[in-house]
Amino acid sequence: MPARWARRRCFWNNESRIMNSGNHKNHNHAKTEHANPILDVRDLSVSFGKDEVLKGISFQVKEGDFLAIIGPNGAGKTVLFRALMNLIPYDGEVKWRANVKIGYVPQKLMEKAELPLTVREFFVLKSKNLFFKDKQIVNSIFHELKSVDIGADILDRQLINLSKGQLQRVLISWAILGHPEVLLFDEPTAGIDIAGEESVYNMLHKLQDERGMTVIMISHDLNVVYRYANNVLCLNKERLCYGEPSQALTNEQIKRLYGESAFYHHLH
Amino acid sequence: MAFDTQFLLILISGLFTSLAASLLGAFVVVKRMALVGDVLSHVALPGIGLALLLNIDPIYGAAVFLLAAAFGTWFIEKKTALPPEAIIGTFFTATLALGVILVPHEELFESLFGNLFAIGFKDAVLIVSASVVIFILTLLLARRLTLGIVAPDLSKSAGFRPDFSYLAFLLLFALSVALGIKLIGSVLMGALTILPAVSARNFAWSLKSFLIFSVIIGVIITAIGIIISNVFNFSPGPSVILSGIVFFAASLLFTRK
Repeated sequence: MPARWARRRCFWNNESRIMNSGNHKNHNHAKTEHANPILDVRDLSVSFGKDEVLKGISFQVKEGDFLAIIGPNGAGKTVLFRALMNLIPYDGEVKWRANVKIGYVPQKLMEKAELPLTVREFFVLKSKNLFFKDKQIVNSIFHELKSVDIGADILDRQLINLSKGQLQRVLISWAILGHPEVLLFDEPTAGIDIAGEESVYNMLHKLQDERGMTVIMISHDLNVVYRYANNVLCLNKERLCYGEPSQALTNEQIKRLYGESAFYHHLH
Repeated sequence: MAFDTQFLLILISGLFTSLAASLLGAFVVVKRMALVGDVLSHVALPGIGLALLLNIDPIYGAAVFLLAAAFGTWFIEKKTALPPEAIIGTFFTATLALGVILVPHEELFESLFGNLFAIGFKDAVLIVSASVVIFILTLLLARRLTLGIVAPDLSKSAGFRPDFSYLAFLLLFALSVALGIKLIGSVLMGALTILPAVSARNFAWSLKSFLIFSVIIGVIITAIGIIISNVFNFSPGPSVILSGIVFFAASLLFTRK
């Protein structure tokens, strides 16, 4: 499948080749000449007790990029997100551009069936106000719901009664409330039908074009990576590949990342 | 029915206690800590015993032990992978053992089930004002606490500190249990916290309606319980709880799922 979006930024090709050959320093230097990165990660490691979950991860994200992070289960993708948001302790350097606003879309919410929270109330929880009505939030809810293509009638429904697809859209609109410059999107592993998924990616792309938003996304679907991402980071505790998808994601790499069986599965 | 001063003091303190307890109770139930509340309420015992020995107001003794247990639970939960109920369970057995040693036998029973101490005017003032403070603080905490329950990571990513709202919640909960000790006893205080919330949950359609119904039901069952206890000369604790059970049974008829 032609990587339409990736092609737009073909100057990446050379750089990613340098990257793959392991020449970090030159690469970083070359890139900073184009634009200041919005995120610069150097030698990031995370350990839980004796388990090293992430080892020496380095990458950069520039404004307007769509970076896909891929890797098998347990590769440390969500851990990487949590480190990027400074939710867990880590070694190394995570440097965001100053005052950057980040929106986060988790894979799912905790299944708290005992909490009768409506979608409207869920939005209000993002308010800095402790008790009083937050007019700014109330006004932008409609606007954000429109950008993810859901009607305002969802507002009075309870979160626990939403389908997975609806919940995902609500989570996205929650994350983009207040117009963050960066969206961290942890894609659910399963449970959303193909048609639903397709439009979620188109929607993300629309948002990216309209708002100049930078997207960093954990993806489980290689097709999505080829089609939408202009940069990919393969992760299995350490960085296995990094660069423009059509260059970095060779068959060899995919095999290394997922093993033989998954490789065939993905190509069918 | 004798409308003497003692009855009025009990009624007023009871209503305010239930106001705070039933609002907190909504979050206790949602956090799946219903039995934790019950267990937490026993932690008060050695505090009551010590207070009796030292001749100070048992509410203070209970409050010190409860606050310490709440903080200890939060701290150990942060440091270990243990669930809160296991940690509080540990505190509970330790404090129950201490309590049995410290509290004289007949008073042990009453401090568990209430009716031990007469409510003086000063007590009523303390209970009412502390309840109002707990109620207001809980309302202010509600949004942060809820987000921390639904999605701790989202809460942190929005720049909030869910662990601190959880600590504040535990401390408020501990204080509210301490307030109820004179009135309905520590065991039944756990029940007063949960009962309004479980009834309210059955027909709530939003967080707001859940909290409002929980408080309304808490106040109603306390009023009914205390009035009945006065008429038939029961102790108020069990009577309040039983009226709560009747409400719960009734709420089952309106369950939305």
